[in-house]
Amino acid sequence: MKHRHNRNGLTRRQLIKGIGAASLLPLVGGAPFAIGSQSAGRVIVVGGGFGGATAAKYLKRANPAIEVILIEPNEIFYTCPFSNLHLGGLREMDTISHGYDELKDRYGVRVIHATAEDVDAEAHKVTLSTGRKLDYDRLVLSPGVDMRWNALEGYDEEAAEKAPHAWKAGVQTELLRSQLEAMDDGGTFVMVAPENPFRCPPGPYERASLVANYLTQFKPKSKVLILDAKDNFSKQGLFTAGWEQLYGDRIEWVGLSNDGRVARVDADRLEVETEFGTVHRADVLNVIPPQKAGWIAERAGVTDDSGWVPVKPETFESRQVDDIYVVGDATVAAPMPKSGFCANAQAKVVAAAIAASLESRPAPEAYWTNTCYSLVGPEYGISVAGVYRVQDGVIAEVEGAGGLSPADASKDSRALEAKYAVGWYNAICQDTWDTLLGGTAI
Amino acid sequence: MHVARSTHPDAARRRLLLGMAAGVAAIGVAGLATPVMAEGPWQRLDTARSVLGDAEPSTQGLVLDLPHVSEDGASVSLTVGFDGELEPGDYISRIDLFATANPSPEIATFHLTPLSGKAEISTRVRLNETQQVIAIATSHQGERFATAREVRITVSGCLMRNGGDQPEPLSNPRVSIPSSFSPGQPEAVRTLIHHPMETGLRENADGEIEPRHIIERFTVSLNGETAFEAELHQSISASPYLLFYLSPEKDGEAVFEWRDDSGETARHVAEFEVT
Repeated sequence: MKHRHNRNGLTRRQLIKGIGAASLLPLVGGAPFAIGSQSAGRVIVVGGGFGGATAAKYLKRANPAIEVILIEPNEIFYTCPFSNLHLGGLREMDTISHGYDELKDRYGVRVIHATAEDVDAEAHKVTLSTGRKLDYDRLVLSPGVDMRWNALEGYDEEAAEKAPHAWKAGVQTELLRSQLEAMDDGGTFVMVAPENPFRCPPGPYERASLVANYLTQFKPKSKVLILDAKDNFSKQGLFTAGWEQLYGDRIEWVGLSNDGRVARVDADRLEVETEFGTVHRADVLNVIPPQKAGWIAERAGVTDDSGWVPVKPETFESRQVDDIYVVGDATVAAPMPKSGFCANAQAKVVAAAIAASLESRPAPEAYWTNTCYSLVGPEYGISVAGVYRVQDGVIAEVEGAGGLSPADASKDSRALEAKYAVGWYNAICQDTWDTLLGGTAI
Repeated sequence: MHVARSTHPDAARRRLLLGMAAGVAAIGVAGLATPVMAEGPWQRLDTARSVLGDAEPSTQGLVLDLPHVSEDGASVSLTVGFDGELEPGDYISRIDLFATANPSPEIATFHLTPLSGKAEISTRVRLNETQQVIAIATSHQGERFATAREVRITVSGCLMRNGGDQPEPLSNPRVSIPSSFSPGQPEAVRTLIHHPMETGLRENADGEIEPRHIIERFTVSLNGETAFEAELHQSISASPYLLFYLSPEKDGEAVFEWRDDSGETARHVAEFEVT
């Protein structure tokens, strides 16, 4: 059995610090914190997206005596899910924004708006951009993805200001939206799609759909061209059938076998060159580059040579570093996709595993679900669902569970799925940040 | 730093057997490498043993690059390369690839010449399930090298396949070759061509087995002299992609030819200069 770090009330300094923190907290569920009692352990959560916010909330739900500190630089989090709706002109940014007040006020999570800059796994310390160092008993990293700059020749941070990736929601989403709005009718929106694995497998194709929807209404002479480094993509049959039905030949998809892989990007000229030398000129250029685990994962020593984080499937604890748990897009969790819903499901497993480990109990058996809706149009939704558990030491999809929207569904059924997509979004966000969004309108 | 996994002797030994990352092997168990490597997975695969003969392959120098985990077994990127040492004048003349758990394990055999310049090849392969992939290299003078890598294959819940329109077999040959070479400087050449690479194992929508239909041979000649050749099998992905190196000695013409098992061929001719 490996050594487990535990700081429980062993020093006077830590005890005093614990009291200070606890006394600031409101009552939770009517049960007052016993002032002066020892904390059940301190867990630091880095990253306030779907994975991190869920982990923080569910740790507090599992045991309110655990001191939970959430480190997140931004006060407002914009979700990647539904950011394609903003891009397509269907939603304002404030309807995909979430804050941390509910986690603080209702659950007693301490939220520090700073960047985690380093992790000393040996000493169990996280260094913040403010210079502060925080001790932890368990660390949860939910670092999301970073772009692999220059993995596509010519595509770096500077190029992303001209040819946005918009694969992290926020300013990049707004930049791409403004470029699309400024584009002349008759222009071509070119999207460069990456090879697997990457964040949100159906995301590029939903984006192409909603851009096409916008162009159909406002710039009917314009086209969407997808240059793809893959020959197969998520929900491909459903997307291509929907595209044909709603947009005719407005969307052109060029796969790997047809020289769809882009090798070079010239962001100044809005040109891309494929592996076999075809140059495509764009009026708006959206480059979704290859990705890797968010930077802090590398600092913590949990990534492997693939750039992603291998985890123990039963608990999502790092395979490489003890007491560090990693959730979400940064992990190697296939066949679970890199989705917000999966990050949320993984975070609940992590919260339960950490709460158990702080009490020296075995972790409960893990299973996960994923539900993923995509909008082909404002009244045309499709979905895929999966259930996963650990089998022979690896994560496996449970056969016969889950499924895909039928290929021959009626118009009404597609319209209902579009409504369900909104319900899905509201529910997953409420579960994650406790933020309430109303209505079923797109 | 805690390195939970790698310090466990059994786990480390198993990784060595799999021929995985050298970085892992470096953690305290390097002394095991030689005896353990001798039992490499190539000894357990008849087709691989027949390439090796009685030779004991060296496990140094041959590098196989594949993802640890692939979400699409229909197309897994693979690079094999040799960066070891050979006797002066010797060169790698053959590389064999095997997928140990595929219905037929042969992936491809590549024949290289001094005109290849550099023994490094990238392609895309089909892997039926989680398994070890083996590479064996043979030098002109008969030295042998072997390595293996484990690849886990998953089918992502968000990755679904569709049929789609199939382009004509052997249509659209694509070649990317520099127009000018420097003497002694190998340059990368890429090729891509449409072909279903039908395995002969797949049932179509009517429940009938689609007959085997694959490209069997790909040849590149420089001014009439064979520079690079590939024998391809069912485990090469549809629409075969190959990246390899050429190092021509003088100006001239490169001819690329693909031949499938129905006897049909496709050709592409490119001119280049050597300056």
